[in-house]
Amino acid sequence: MKNIYSISLYTLREALSRKVFITFFAVSTFVLLIFTLLFSTISVEGFFSVSTVRPESTNSLLANVAGALKTMIVIPLYGGGLFLSIFSAASFIPNMLEKGSVDLMLSFPVSRREIILGKFFGGILMVLVNIAYLVLGIWLLIGIKFGNWDSSFLFAIPTIVFAFSSLYGMIILIGILTQNSVLSMMISYLIFFIFSPILSAKDSISSFINNGVVTFIIDVMHFIVPKTSELGSITANLAAGVSISDIEPFATSLIILILNLVLSIIIFNKKDY
Amino acid sequence: MYAIESSGLTKIYNGKRRTQKITALNSLDLQIDNGIIYGLLGPNGAGKTTFVKIILGIVNPTSGSAKLLGKNITDHEVRNKIGFLPENHKFPHYLSAEEVLKYFAKLRRFDSKNINSEIEKVLDKVKLSKWKKTKIKKFSKGMLQRLGLANAIITNPEILFLDEPTDGVDPIGRKEIKDLLLELKQNGKTVFINSHLLSEVESISDRVAILNKGNLIREGKVDDLITSKKNYIISCSEFIEDNIEILRANFQFTVNENFQINLKVDSTAELNSFMDKLRQHQIIINSINQQKSSLEDYFIKAIGDSDKI
Repeated sequence: MKNIYSISLYTLREALSRKVFITFFAVSTFVLLIFTLLFSTISVEGFFSVSTVRPESTNSLLANVAGALKTMIVIPLYGGGLFLSIFSAASFIPNMLEKGSVDLMLSFPVSRREIILGKFFGGILMVLVNIAYLVLGIWLLIGIKFGNWDSSFLFAIPTIVFAFSSLYGMIILIGILTQNSVLSMMISYLIFFIFSPILSAKDSISSFINNGVVTFIIDVMHFIVPKTSELGSITANLAAGVSISDIEPFATSLIILILNLVLSIIIFNKKDY
Repeated sequence: MYAIESSGLTKIYNGKRRTQKITALNSLDLQIDNGIIYGLLGPNGAGKTTFVKIILGIVNPTSGSAKLLGKNITDHEVRNKIGFLPENHKFPHYLSAEEVLKYFAKLRRFDSKNINSEIEKVLDKVKLSKWKKTKIKKFSKGMLQRLGLANAIITNPEILFLDEPTDGVDPIGRKEIKDLLLELKQNGKTVFINSHLLSEVESISDRVAILNKGNLIREGKVDDLITSKKNYIISCSEFIEDNIEILRANFQFTVNENFQINLKVDSTAELNSFMDKLRQHQIIINSINQQKSSLEDYFIKAIGDSDKI
């Protein structure tokens, strides 16, 4: 456990030193500054002074505006957060596997399983810190501006991090197989932007397809590709205060994540460097 | 208990074609005692690095087993007592020398409360104290090599594996590294060196092994290997050459202008017989020495002989 902790911290340190963390943090800060600027140009008092809303309905209207704003923000936030997270973490495994680095790493009194898990949790930690900063920042800005402190928006933190972790498992596996961070990134973006949205509409698509083989492929893909699209919808619903009705995207993404990690450990154990 | 022990250690890599197999190490048996400097020699592709990598868990063996300090190499905990300097190592370039040592010491669970003073001490040993705060991307090849050595010894390991330790280091630096390794040996540490610089290995190693094409072709004490048991140099006082020429019928030798006889014999009895003859001819013997070749000469001959088989 101590080894996993040490490698996780080192991964975080690596992200800091390679300016990956700072870049993520700078982009998040930039987004927060834009929101600050945007909110500073809107006058809530002015809006109500010219509106016909009765004063007793003001609070409920403010809550509705804040709620609508959060729903509007959460989807791009989910997409942008995942995009940045994938970009930041894709190089962790290929960098470690570079000749000269991997020899040193493997000569330490650390098992290969611990190295993989350390790299995994280190990546998650980096994304968690940045996503928490971004989501909390937006939540605070909305709260200060509209006086709405509904905490359901904060569910975006665990859901974005979980969606990232389901993709990160795959990034680790591809990284070990190919030692190529660009390929890891490309496949992750392909899943996130193309496959997952298509597969989330599997039932509708299947009704248009007569070919059994294609239907079979879509069914198989549905079970092996992380369900980032469905997780995005869940994040939006949670931000709007709608509770989770279907945990299947969580469950299958978790199974895919565990399978990817187990497979990564098995392959990493067998590989020679 | 040996420091390093391997039994039937074999590594076969897959070639480019599925059917092609490359034997990097062929049933290697080695026993290396504690507290010595051991040199592993061999031409490129002999299997030296593969052996070290298997021992350190970087490469998985195809068959056979190996132990470090009596523990199976599959037990990764044993690597806590190991220091390793890989060839062409790559430290994170964004760290300073001090940070590199601190970080890697932590990964090796070095619990010293005085880690900063340990870093200071070890950097001083490898003459890098002045650059401890400098980012290593500014380091020369020799400086990186010194840092690699510092990293290998900071946790006070029982066994030190060094792959080409003086690569890129200037002659003064080489001398310093050599002295450091001898000091480590005096402190009871086992030093395992993989090097192409045979003169260096010869000057510090107690024992060497020579690998060729994955096979162990020679192993032994350096002195035993390079000392010929068949060739002797006999220094004599002045003598009349005619006195010795008559010995040519029974012995094989050459004489130089300094009255040194280079004698080739098949047995000690033959040597004694030759000495008796010299005395019979009133030739005064000043010294008798076994002829020594350099490790390089021995190595080239051993590889040549092995390739003929």
